[in-house]
Amino acid sequence: MPLGRLFLRTSTVNRMVSRNSFIASKPDPSKPNMLRVGLAFGSTAVLWALLFKQHSTDLHEYKTRNGLE
Amino acid sequence: MGLLPDEAKVLPPPGIVNRNSVWFGLCGWATAMLHNSLNRRPALKAGVHRQALFITIGWFIGYHLTKFENYKYATLDRDMNEYIRLHPEQFPEKAPKTFAEIVEPFHPIR
Repeated sequence: MPLGRLFLRTSTVNRMVSRNSFIASKPDPSKPNMLRVGLAFGSTAVLWALLFKQHSTDLHEYKTRNGLE
Repeated sequence: MGLLPDEAKVLPPPGIVNRNSVWFGLCGWATAMLHNSLNRRPALKAGVHRQALFITIGWFIGYHLTKFENYKYATLDRDMNEYIRLHPEQFPEKAPKTFAEIVEPFHPIR
């Protein structure tokens, strides 16, 4: 099959990647995408919780291995 | 500890606030502020969720980087001390010299 024929499928994918100028809009800062904001804050909280848990686990491991507890 | 072997657990863990965490957190914050200014938004007041997320990611990476750095330096120290212990002839104890023996005679030119 010529290589060009293999690329014909990309027009179906490209529809999702590019934006139709008739329906596209500028990003509006007065209407935040609350899902994205929620996900950002949620993952921030999850990362901090993971960090603190990892730190306390490491501290406990260090103390038990050196016989300090 | 994902990339660290089991023996690294004998080392004391770094504090939550450590050099690498603070630096990477600041870098993440600078990235978020740069992203704001490149999109013509107020640098500090816009996208606070993005700033918080980037600071947190930087802090997290910095903490694990500090742990990795501590382990690497500890292995280097252990290998160095082991070498010194196995080759004492290369590390003789020298008698300490006083300053009077080291310093050259003083000839003032007044």
